[in-house]
Amino acid sequence: MKRLCAVLIIVVLTVLIVTPVLASAGQPPVLSTTELVENSYKWDGKTVSFKGEVLQDLMVREDGTWMNLSDGNNTAMGVFVPKGVAMPAISRTEDYRTVGDVVFITGVFHRVCAQHEGETDIHATSVTIVTPGSTKANPIHLDRVVWFVVLAGLLGLVMWLYYRKPGRGTEH
Amino acid sequence: MIRRVWREDFRIIGYYTGLVTIGVGLLMLVPMVTSLVFREWASALDFAISVALTLLVGYVLALVSRTKSTPGLTHAMVIAAGSWLVAMVLSGVPYMLSGHMASFLDTCFDTMSGYTTTGMYLMQDLDHISQGLNMWRHLLTYVGGQGIVVLALTFLIGSTGGAFKIMVGEGKEEKLEPNVRHIAVLIWRISLIYLGVGTVVLGVVAIANGIKPYLAFFHGAYIFMSAWSTGGFAPYSQNMLYYHSSAMEIASMVFFILGSFNFALHYAVWTGNRREILRNVEIVSFTITVLTTFSLVCLALMQRGVYPNAVALFRRGFFQLISGHTTTGQSNIYARTFVREWGPLGMLATTIAMAIGASAASTGGGFKGLRVGIIVKGIVTDVRKLLSPERAVVMGHYHHIRDKVLSDSVVKSAAVIVVLYVLIYVVGTVVGMAYGYPMVDALFESVSAGSNTGLSCGIVQASMPTLMKIVYMFEMWMGRLEFLSVFTLFGFIATSFRSMRVRKTAV
Repeated sequence: MKRLCAVLIIVVLTVLIVTPVLASAGQPPVLSTTELVENSYKWDGKTVSFKGEVLQDLMVREDGTWMNLSDGNNTAMGVFVPKGVAMPAISRTEDYRTVGDVVFITGVFHRVCAQHEGETDIHATSVTIVTPGSTKANPIHLDRVVWFVVLAGLLGLVMWLYYRKPGRGTEH
Repeated sequence: MIRRVWREDFRIIGYYTGLVTIGVGLLMLVPMVTSLVFREWASALDFAISVALTLLVGYVLALVSRTKSTPGLTHAMVIAAGSWLVAMVLSGVPYMLSGHMASFLDTCFDTMSGYTTTGMYLMQDLDHISQGLNMWRHLLTYVGGQGIVVLALTFLIGSTGGAFKIMVGEGKEEKLEPNVRHIAVLIWRISLIYLGVGTVVLGVVAIANGIKPYLAFFHGAYIFMSAWSTGGFAPYSQNMLYYHSSAMEIASMVFFILGSFNFALHYAVWTGNRREILRNVEIVSFTITVLTTFSLVCLALMQRGVYPNAVALFRRGFFQLISGHTTTGQSNIYARTFVREWGPLGMLATTIAMAIGASAASTGGGFKGLRVGIIVKGIVTDVRKLLSPERAVVMGHYHHIRDKVLSDSVVKSAAVIVVLYVLIYVVGTVVGMAYGYPMVDALFESVSAGSNTGLSCGIVQASMPTLMKIVYMFEMWMGRLEFLSVFTLFGFIATSFRSMRVRKTAV
């Protein structure tokens, strides 16, 4: 009985350890813009995953939709979603007052896409929304209001002095 | 003998610098209104503070140094160079208040890059800035292209004798009309008409590409301002890649090629002299150098098999090359693609194009086609002299608006400026190499800064060494003002100290 228990424990542990490894082996790697651009030859034509915030404009074209996904500080990647691919409803895109939906896409990376005249892009095969967008708070700071009032007051005073004071010096 | 500096000299410089500063303050009202339209209240407040501060500095300067004396050549040069520095610092206030800048130095880098129509940036998280700040970035580059002094001349200074000298100090040496204010108004009239046309054209293209109509015309205005001023900024970090549109790239390309032409050429064409386009030495020079450098780019890209077909090669290769040659800096590839895919030959060909640059008295930078044409013609004339009988009189000519005789002094002054450009390119390259960057990369980035282009192969970023930021800023400033006014400013400062010492000794 003890031996049977030991065997069962070993089997369960093995399953627990091996299953995630096998699962991740089937999952394309999640890559960043920097990784894709720096190693463009390595990833060219491969299926990759990419996660990022949808930037402001979803550009619907005849054969599909373009969206730009921001994945960090000043890095973003163009993702083309062909017409046949199911596209979830993007509720919010990025602007100054909005955090755009964060989406997870899987697709084929093109170092220079032949269909799009040499563009570096990903053609999505699946798109899912990971985090819905939200409203961004851009609060007005009271100290800045005070600064404005003080500066505006000083400006008014200096302008009054400037326009009332006669010019000095002689014309040459 | 260098003359002493008197109090009146400071007064003249302070007064005119104050007027230019007031002009910058008034200009900030445009992004403030943009922020209000988009209900970006915090951003609008940032601009309100910046407007108040800039106007305050401008009025204080004008008040304490008010004078009716007109500026001489030295004053004019110092005013031009000094105004750019004052404008650089004050225009950075909204940048700093936005919280998107890592340091004040980075802010100055970005505003200097904007005014000099370079287009490099160190701004953090560009994809999330307000519409107001985006408007300000592009307005800086638009106004910088025409010249901030030209702006002030148009609205504030009026028709004074010294005004033309200030414009020369800012790199606008073409005297299109006898009255300087008329020249300034003319430059602005041409630019504003193009702004209207460009915004509509690019806005319509943006709508056709799927951008929301209410935003499309803002995109149109931003891209036009960036293109016409050969600036290179774009509202998003992907630059022209954001639009995934060849129509947008072609429309922008037309405007930045037009922007890179001499204002005198625009004026000639506007006044009916259309044949000037075919005869002008700058256009001839530009055509030859574009064809040569594009051939090199094609060779490099074909050798490495970068693009799968001719259409892709032309769309990426030609756009990048012409963007570099006109010193615009808009890009439809990623910065690191230059290094990773184009390779040394492709980068060097683009570097040569950037170094040569646009036309004189345009919004662009670099040696300028006029100087390249003059130097080449000078060499040809010298060779002809050597091959001719000793008694023969050999005269060189070139055509720029009218036929002109190629004198030794013209060739010499063109050569001196070209040598100075080469010098700043080399200094920037050496500093880059000293920090461990490969020579081709360091040269590319240095030439891009010095010629006010703005293309990057990935060196320019907030984490780059402080000294490199400072060197690039100097390159942009000197390159845009074409050296003389900057040297005069340094000379003026040195002379001021000497005059103070002499006075103390006399006391």
